[in-house]
Amino acid sequence: MQDISPATLLVLVPLLPLVGAIVTVAFGRLLGSRAHLPAVISIAAALGCAVVLLAGTARLVGDGHGGPARPVEMITTLWQWATVEGSQPFSIPVALRLDPLTATMLTIITSVGLLVAIYSIGYMHDDPGYPRFFALVATFVFSMAMLVAASNFLLVYVFWEAVGACSYLLIGFWFRKPEAAKAAKKAFLVNRVGDFGLAVATFLLWMTYGTLNFHDTLSADGVIMPGILGQTRLADAAGYVGGIVGTAICLLLLLAACGKSAQLPLHVWLPDAMEGPTPASSLIHAATMVTAGIYLIARSCPLFMACPDALTTVSIVGATTALVAGLIGTVQNDLKRVLAYSTISQLGYMFASLGTGTLLGFTAAIFHLLTHAFFKALLFMGAGSVMHSMGGVIDMRRFGGLRRVMPITAATFLVGGLALAGVAPFAGFFSKDEILASLHSRGWPDAHHEDHHAAAQKGYATHFHLAASSPENAAVQGENEPRPLSRIDSPATFRTLFWMSLFTAGLTAFYTFRAVFMTFTGPTRVPEEAGHHAHESPPVMTAPLIILAIASAVSGWLLFSTHALANFLAATPSFTAPAVVATAVKPAFHWDLALQGTLAAAIGIALAAYGHLGRRSDGPQMERFLGPLQTLFARKFFLDEIYTALVVRPLEAVAFIFALFDRRVIDGLVDLVAGIPFAVAAVVRQFQSGLLQRYALAGVVGVLAIVVALAWQLRG
Amino acid sequence: MLAAIVPLSPGVLLAAAVTASAASLWLLLPRGQSGRRERTARWLGAGLGVAALAAFIITGRRLGGLGEESVFLIVSLVAVVSAAATVVSRSPVYAAIWFALSLAGVAGVLLVLGAQFLGVATIVVYAGAILVMFLFVLMLAQPSGLAPYDRVSNEPLLAAVAGAVLLGLLSLSIGRLSAGDTAVAADVAPAVAVDALQADHVARLGGELFSRHLIAIEAAGVLLLIALIGSIAIVARGEESRVQERRAA
Amino acid sequence: MSSLPLLQNALLVGAILFSLGLVGILARRNLIVMFLAAEMMLQGISVSLVAWSRYHGDWGGQILVIFVLTVAACEAAIALVFVLGAFSRTGRLDAAAWQSLREATLGRVIDRELPASDTLPQKFPTLTPAGVLPETDEDELLQREHV
Repeated sequence: MQDISPATLLVLVPLLPLVGAIVTVAFGRLLGSRAHLPAVISIAAALGCAVVLLAGTARLVGDGHGGPARPVEMITTLWQWATVEGSQPFSIPVALRLDPLTATMLTIITSVGLLVAIYSIGYMHDDPGYPRFFALVATFVFSMAMLVAASNFLLVYVFWEAVGACSYLLIGFWFRKPEAAKAAKKAFLVNRVGDFGLAVATFLLWMTYGTLNFHDTLSADGVIMPGILGQTRLADAAGYVGGIVGTAICLLLLLAACGKSAQLPLHVWLPDAMEGPTPASSLIHAATMVTAGIYLIARSCPLFMACPDALTTVSIVGATTALVAGLIGTVQNDLKRVLAYSTISQLGYMFASLGTGTLLGFTAAIFHLLTHAFFKALLFMGAGSVMHSMGGVIDMRRFGGLRRVMPITAATFLVGGLALAGVAPFAGFFSKDEILASLHSRGWPDAHHEDHHAAAQKGYATHFHLAASSPENAAVQGENEPRPLSRIDSPATFRTLFWMSLFTAGLTAFYTFRAVFMTFTGPTRVPEEAGHHAHESPPVMTAPLIILAIASAVSGWLLFSTHALANFLAATPSFTAPAVVATAVKPAFHWDLALQGTLAAAIGIALAAYGHLGRRSDGPQMERFLGPLQTLFARKFFLDEIYTALVVRPLEAVAFIFALFDRRVIDGLVDLVAGIPFAVAAVVRQFQSGLLQRYALAGVVGVLAIVVALAWQLRG
Repeated sequence: MLAAIVPLSPGVLLAAAVTASAASLWLLLPRGQSGRRERTARWLGAGLGVAALAAFIITGRRLGGLGEESVFLIVSLVAVVSAAATVVSRSPVYAAIWFALSLAGVAGVLLVLGAQFLGVATIVVYAGAILVMFLFVLMLAQPSGLAPYDRVSNEPLLAAVAGAVLLGLLSLSIGRLSAGDTAVAADVAPAVAVDALQADHVARLGGELFSRHLIAIEAAGVLLLIALIGSIAIVARGEESRVQERRAA
Repeated sequence: MSSLPLLQNALLVGAILFSLGLVGILARRNLIVMFLAAEMMLQGISVSLVAWSRYHGDWGGQILVIFVLTVAACEAAIALVFVLGAFSRTGRLDAAAWQSLREATLGRVIDRELPASDTLPQKFPTLTPAGVLPETDEDELLQREHV
């Protein structure tokens, strides 16, 4: 591997799955039941490249003990996509970047992608669309890798759409099923709203910064043109625009992230997306694609740091989503739906963490992204394994006690559940603890003073002033006055968010273990659809489960105890902005927070055990306990109904008017044009008597007319 | 020759002749009438036709000698009157006979024009061969009495008007001919005028025909042969298909 | 003898013959009479051609008339075959009997009722049948009006 340059490897990571996809498309029918081979091999090779890149980047970053991290990035420009000369030159280079964040994301994408691809060999084995599925998975891995490797907002937009298209195609994979087709359409339309935000944000970025590149570029005459997230601008304290424009850009980026990452109010598509094949749900709608929003906000965090209001909005949206989705998840009876709401809830956690605007918050979000990718992929695959064995039935009320039927699935699912619930020492515990810590540090700033690095000794409140560049903020720059409490980014806000998140942690544990107990404990019940062969899934499906279970069990502790991930990510250029660095704290384990989190999880698990362990059945108790809230949760806070009333019905009314206009006026005009020949024909038809002599007479009259005209012209 | 006597301008005379011939043809054509009305229409039409002919004779140019003039007048009248009779006859047999007479008139005109061979050939080929063939067909196919389709015409008014207008246009342009218009053509014409009744007329025509137009005359011969074979083949196959049709029915 | 007046007079005769032939072909419905009218138009052309030939002192016009005669003979042969074929299908020599190629929504042209003809039916000599009486087809007899 020494001969291959990092640039080549970086290109290979997306290129290999693309080649795999093309080969699958071209020779899928020829390969038949071996159609998975190109996708699996190419994604495995891409994983190899990604791991080498990760190791190389880690070597560049070092151990992180030499003070604040130096930014590490490498740019490979493949070709210029579009170049416009002029007073304000505009060029779109197809440039790939390598930095700690990208390397981490690439590793997550390719490793989960590989495991899902292997798992799908068993799950999809007799599906008529077998080659199509693997072609789509490989295409998705290509698009997602390009999305996280792109070093330009326009390229990000392109692959943002590409992963959306893959998601659409995979949700609608069984397009003959009406629900799947509808779910795909819904996902597509809801995502459009978010994509609109990204498009407008891109325009505004171009208007504001005059470039769309992340990185600095060298113009032909040797002048450095600072990119939006380039090191030149990062080093400049006044490099980022705040105020209305900055806030607008950030809120539009947030809108985009909400669409892709299924945050309130654009979360409605994700639960329906469960109509797709379970491996696709696992890969796209749990582990990778839905984290694109997290990635986007983390990547553009310097922009957000200049706009504290937008940043706090991120947190509020995240924590609210986490709570709402958690509440809805407690009453779902569909195993995949529970996991879907859980995904929304966990993504909300990551948003809440990002919104704290601290280095700890950003790294914690990525940390949780990583661990969540593992244990949520695991849980989805476990659910898929159950579904596969139960003959397609996914309603938890119809089966139970499956730990005796499928022990491996049950064990791995339990590990995933423990990780999701945040039970020590599983992965979710550590990442969730870091998120709670980041929220806590904003809610109670004084308690964390001693954690700050010497570089940030002036106090917590200063870092926003460093970032602020708008005039009104400049006035208070340098002063040590606390910020006015009326601002939404006051500690009180974050205290509320902290308690919401803690409550959500309890909810998470409750619904997770409710699902675990309902599915795997109690008397063994198997629906009749399963037939006589309800059994453990084949090894090709259980092997990825076991690998992911191990990852879910140990990754959290490994990465947390060594602080490897946090130190590594800190070298990402975006996280080396002075405003971000100023918030850096000593890595620490917060016993009080860990206790609170564990307590919440324990209460949740205990409640779930009380309600669902053993012979107790679901339903009556829950309904009696929750009362009218049960309806509220089960109907998903009536959000679908509200959208129908506010968006769908008015649009339908407008569409009805347009349709009427189209039918009556446009079609009427067209019919009128078509009617002219009809009217003429009705007259002329009378001459078509079939009588030879009448035709001859008509001919003679015509000849006479010509002769008369000629004679008239030649007269005198 | 009567232009001096009747004080009419040529334009008015021509318009009158065209109108009269149109009306005459319309009246004379079979229109499904019978009895008195039909007879009245015939007489009226005949009168109008005579008037039209008179108008045309008046507009005609004077020829040199009275003898030649009268000969031309007689043969052309025979040709024209019997042609009109051919068109308006109810009975196709009479039409054919009138046509034969018209052919005789045409042959006379051709003789006056100095085309002796063509005059004789017209009589021999048309009156002698083609017309007899027509009559054979008529004998084969003619119902006894007058068929309904012989007693009515197709759009008689429009047809008569169209024919009369065409005639008017043609005579208008014929009347405008002058020596100047044809001077160029006359210059390139052979110096020797083709005069009537030349002794070596047929020999010269034959020489011209079989030297300059040899290939064309051979092609015409082939055409005749093909027409002969073709007509026999069509009759034979038509007969065959009719037999098959009957068997199928 | 002036050449131009003779030309003009002959051309006028040709024009009259041509126009009469045109009227005949447009108005008369009997196929044979239509045919005679067509031949009459050819006669008009022939007269005109010969007149020009005379006027120019050129053989071309007369040569052309010879070809007109040839073509007329061919045409007569072929056309009479078709007329006979048409007659044997419909039993009529009527040009209006053939109107199947009309617009589908239009009806057949139906002749109005004709008043009885007061002209005496013509008697043509017919040959006395000799030998065995040929077999006749009842349907065909019904289709034909008279034979």
